Amino acid sequence: MREPDWESMDEQAFEELLESSVTQPPPEQVVAEVTPWRLATKRILTGIALTSITLNFFWLNYLLPAIGMVLMLLGFRALRRENRCLSICFGLAVLRAIHLYATLIFNSTIWFSMVSSSVLYGLTVLNLALTYTQLLCLWGGFRAVQQKAGLPPHAGSAVALLIWYGITGLLGALGYSGLILPLVMLVCYILILRSLWKLSRELDQAGYAIRPAPVRVTDTVLAIAIAAVVVIGCLCGLLLGCKYPMDWQAADPAEHSGVEEIEAQLLDLGFPDYVLQDLTAEDIAACEGALRVVWDVDDRPLNNGRIAATVVQTEKGQSVTRKRVYDVEELRITGVAVELPGNQGRWMIFHHFLWTVDPGFYGTESIQLWPASRTTLGTWHSTGAVTGRVLYEKDGTTYTAPYYYLGEQTFTSSSIFWGEETSSDVFAAFSMPGTGENHRGYLAYPMEAVEESRLIDSWFNYTHQRTALQYPAMTAMDFRMSGAWDGNSPFRTIQDALQFRPSEVD
Amino acid sequence: MEERDIIERLLGRDESGLHDLLRYYGPLMRYIIAPIVTDPHHREDCLSEAAMRVWDRVGQFDPSRGSFNAWLTAVARNTARNYQRAIQSHQSTQDLDENTPSPQPTPEELLLRQERQAAVNRALARLSSEEQTLFYRKYYYLQPTAQIAAELGTTERAVEGRLYRLKKRLRKLLGGEGYAGT
Repeated sequence: MREPDWESMDEQAFEELLESSVTQPPPEQVVAEVTPWRLATKRILTGIALTSITLNFFWLNYLLPAIGMVLMLLGFRALRRENRCLSICFGLAVLRAIHLYATLIFNSTIWFSMVSSSVLYGLTVLNLALTYTQLLCLWGGFRAVQQKAGLPPHAGSAVALLIWYGITGLLGALGYSGLILPLVMLVCYILILRSLWKLSRELDQAGYAIRPAPVRVTDTVLAIAIAAVVVIGCLCGLLLGCKYPMDWQAADPAEHSGVEEIEAQLLDLGFPDYVLQDLTAEDIAACEGALRVVWDVDDRPLNNGRIAATVVQTEKGQSVTRKRVYDVEELRITGVAVELPGNQGRWMIFHHFLWTVDPGFYGTESIQLWPASRTTLGTWHSTGAVTGRVLYEKDGTTYTAPYYYLGEQTFTSSSIFWGEETSSDVFAAFSMPGTGENHRGYLAYPMEAVEESRLIDSWFNYTHQRTALQYPAMTAMDFRMSGAWDGNSPFRTIQDALQFRPSEVD
Repeated sequence: MEERDIIERLLGRDESGLHDLLRYYGPLMRYIIAPIVTDPHHREDCLSEAAMRVWDRVGQFDPSRGSFNAWLTAVARNTARNYQRAIQSHQSTQDLDENTPSPQPTPEELLLRQERQAAVNRALARLSSEEQTLFYRKYYYLQPTAQIAAELGTTERAVEGRLYRLKKRLRKLLGGEGYAGT
């Protein structure tokens, strides 16, 4: 028999041949897949499942809703022209997608943590209302599809999901923190999803009456575009939204005029010059009549260092000891105490920091101050506000800026040692520019003794952000307030204290 | 409504079974018929004919060979093809003269067709599940590109591209060793 020439057969003849060649029914899997409905419903139901659950590990609390929302969007897009309810579902899916993806992008900036809780609450309520309306419309949409196909309408599982969302929302609003009800809700949720899945199978016959709407952009392109927007948005957020806007101004060379005498007196008493030059005229003036100056300086590392092995010869042989050593210590912290005239012991305390080596990245930085009045309760009391500023040099010009935030914060932190604790501390929050050199700053506060023979114990907790790569973005101050351990985190905290007994120091 | 119940009633020559067949499986049958019978006015006629064919041949349905849905789609598809062919031949008979050769294939043509079908089926088996579905949509269910595109959430242009690649692959598979009509 003559073999057909497949390669040279013209297009029309080949098409006719293919068409006439398939006379047997297709495989079961093909029969199941050739439907206008199943792909869309599968996506919608998977989307509902993924956007409703929260798994707080491996960023799944962000990834699953993001994927679920794309699926939901694509599913409703296909059914958007089927009936009014499904077209409202599509509109709501678009709104929910905008809300979710904008939140994900916004989460990559430090501004998200600064949004007021009332705004966040409002957005949550709005999102819940959109979800609730969408489910209501989905229920209506399913019923309309059944009615169109001439089948008795029923979509009880969609109603069950509506009720489930209602109860979950109510529990959230009431601040329920028990374990039993959420477990019951989780079981109910799984049962409802299973029932919804069964419903979609039951609707398969009705689904053949559906005509999916044509699209101008393919599902794949749309999904890739959304993913690209979110990823690029998050990267931009991480890079551009990782710093506080600081009000940097060139320092006035004559800013210390009028306090030269006090300056000279402080220098005579041993006040470190590099710290004195950074103080504002007001802080220098506050030291008028200084009696003595006590200070202490430490260089501290913020890098990971390296492990150095030392071989020690002992009676039993050689032993190797391993120790972490730091070749570079980037942060110089200087504590200065100035005794002031008065009946009781009056002191002005300064905590100064200076980056002697560029750490490579500046994001948000924070200083948590534990003044002597906090660490040695009842022996000191504050007699004024905490002041200070930050500085750096570029091209021979000194730039100064006030702290982005300087004030008291009340916060609840949890630690593996002390559990949950609510505290109030003075915090300074700021960002340094990526350029320039000698990035530095200081905090100062006055205090007075309540009784004699006291220990001055003033702590300076500096938290530095080491990388922009963190999600969701957090400020150094938020990190410090969370009480989290900084092991592998993007933050590193250095603690330094100015500690001495005034009676024991000349 | 249970599928088995409808089948049993059809087998028992219970006319309510035919009513429920159209009620529950009507959307599926219409879905299969619509792309083949191009004139919407003829579709309901074709559906009735397909339903009657199911009524007549339900005894041939063997659950061990496939689902009822698969059998039903095959009946609907074949009825629609015959229906459309009949319409077309009815329209073209008016132009035929005595010298027009018979449209019936010769025994040699029949044999050649069978061999080609076997070759195409062997090549089809080597396609991925996704490619097979696309193939059946286009060449078995005769769905237009626009319908395939909408149901797959893609553009007509993208479907055309995929069909082009599919045909190219099939040509290659058919032309390769062991696939040409041996």
